[in-house]
Amino acid sequence: MKWYGILIRKASLVITLAAALLTAVSATARPQEGPRENTGLPRIIALAPHIVEMLYDVGAGGQIIGTTDFADYPEQAKDIPSIGNYVRLQLEKVITLQPDLIIAWKSGNPSDDLARLRQLGFEIVYSEPKTFSDIAKELRRFADLSGHSEQGQQVADDFLKQLEKIKESYRDKQSVTAFYELWSRPLTTVAKGSWPQQHLNICGAKNPFEQVSSPYPQVNIEQVLKTQIQLIIQPLSQNQKDREGFNWRDWPTIQAVKENNILTPDADALHRMTRRSLQALDKLCSDIDKVRRSYLSGI
Amino acid sequence: MSRVQLKLALLGLLCLLSIAAALTFGPVDISPQQLLTCFTATCPTPVIDMVVYQVRVPRILVGLVAGMGLAIAGAILQNTTRNPLADPYLFGIVSGAGLGATIASITLANLLTLALPLAAFLGALFAVMIVVLIAKALQRMEQLLLAGVAVSFMLSAISQFLLYLGEPFATNRVLFWLMGSLARVELANFYVIAAVLVFALVVILGFHRHIDALLLGDESAASLGVDADKLRLMMLALCAALTATIVAYCGGIGFVGLMIPHIVRQLLGVTTIPLILGSMLVGGSFILWVDVIARTALENAEIPIGIITSATGSIFFLLIMYRTRKN
Repeated sequence: MKWYGILIRKASLVITLAAALLTAVSATARPQEGPRENTGLPRIIALAPHIVEMLYDVGAGGQIIGTTDFADYPEQAKDIPSIGNYVRLQLEKVITLQPDLIIAWKSGNPSDDLARLRQLGFEIVYSEPKTFSDIAKELRRFADLSGHSEQGQQVADDFLKQLEKIKESYRDKQSVTAFYELWSRPLTTVAKGSWPQQHLNICGAKNPFEQVSSPYPQVNIEQVLKTQIQLIIQPLSQNQKDREGFNWRDWPTIQAVKENNILTPDADALHRMTRRSLQALDKLCSDIDKVRRSYLSGI
Repeated sequence: MSRVQLKLALLGLLCLLSIAAALTFGPVDISPQQLLTCFTATCPTPVIDMVVYQVRVPRILVGLVAGMGLAIAGAILQNTTRNPLADPYLFGIVSGAGLGATIASITLANLLTLALPLAAFLGALFAVMIVVLIAKALQRMEQLLLAGVAVSFMLSAISQFLLYLGEPFATNRVLFWLMGSLARVELANFYVIAAVLVFALVVILGFHRHIDALLLGDESAASLGVDADKLRLMMLALCAALTATIVAYCGGIGFVGLMIPHIVRQLLGVTTIPLILGSMLVGGSFILWVDVIARTALENAEIPIGIITSATGSIFFLLIMYRTRKN
């Protein structure tokens, strides 16, 4: 058994040798990406597309030095260096960028990576908008954090005014029964507690699956056939060009299919929790209203 | 120096070179000269200091002991069950850890940093206990593996059902956690895994002759005074504790325990001590290089390490099957 010990004793010597060998291999260093702007304002890493968008809304877009994949709005956001995705963040890159502030999305970012970053002494604030009024709150908060309080107040107030106006327009409308197709395979819809359920409530659309216990339930086409669906909402995303919607044409017995009442709004605008979602909401409500009027006029 | 010793010395050298090389890879460019100053004096900049000491060193140390632990757990299980396909994960350890992680993810979303490793560890041990109880109830220890596979499926089904009921983000968290990664580790994890690893080594070295006797078959072992079932259970408990600790911190890193011991057997034979030492060195080096790929293959992202080990592992698995067919 003696030679095991000798091996271990030699380990430290060999490690030093190995490191010395490696120094002979010269590595060409890429120039490190520096901050995009040096304004004295906090430099921010924004870890979700909706956070990037909100920062641009309050005038802090130029202070974003890193983000995750899929931050594609506004156009300038595509130039922000990416430091990971929703599975993993590259801690080394975050350390190199030395941000003054990290804004993270609680449910959409890897929590273990965020915990490590907090341990390393980075300041992290979380974004978790659940309702439209949360968007206004977060706009204000991000504006305060990034040094644009005034613009943030303005944007948030406008947002709430517009939201109130839309709510007012559709408050007492007769309800239309709508099926919200979140995903086609497996056929998935939304229920209470989900983000799109708010849209349906505001636009005066009744979701027959609202009371299901899971917020994003998978449903069987039989369950859909059982209910009187007057309208189908089928949001499609820019990022998923290959995504095929559910083939409703095979089910002509559904009233919505028979009347060709299938709406295909832009999923990115509708599902991303930002100021843009209000325009998407407004458009969705007015499209739903057209369907409502067609039924009321008895076509 | 015998041939086996020479090979082990070379493997040791490979392992040390891997450690040194792994330090030089990562999204941030740090030259070997800068690294050397880090270890001999102080790092050139605070940023490099943080990257080296807070990110790379913990990652490499944890990767090393995780690879070693998984490989020796596989080697010991294969030797004691005399089954070339035995692997700690076939005893329900990962599906148990997954169930623990699932329950933690759904119920304790705000305490995840602490709760998840602990829940995963308990889940893994729970799975192994159930497997052993079933095998005992059947009074056939040689059916441990089959019981393990059945329990794996059952626990996975429970996890999937819980995730189906829960919120979609919890599903993502658990799914990505199960893919395994060294990104989240810190130095404290290294000490825990290393302590369990050292304990396991001491026990294995203490019983290495008994394990060698088992290779001759249960009857021959019994004639040499070895209680095969007792030894098997003890080794399974040891491997379960070791693997569960690693899974709790690193997630599911599959197939290392299965493939590494087979490679080492080709090099060093089946005797326990060289097999264990060789598996440690090769397993540690293997994980280090897999993690280098995970860190550097994509420009702006990390690949979960379990994907890479499972991909290489499954090809290896098929090769073993092909070879046994020929023999």
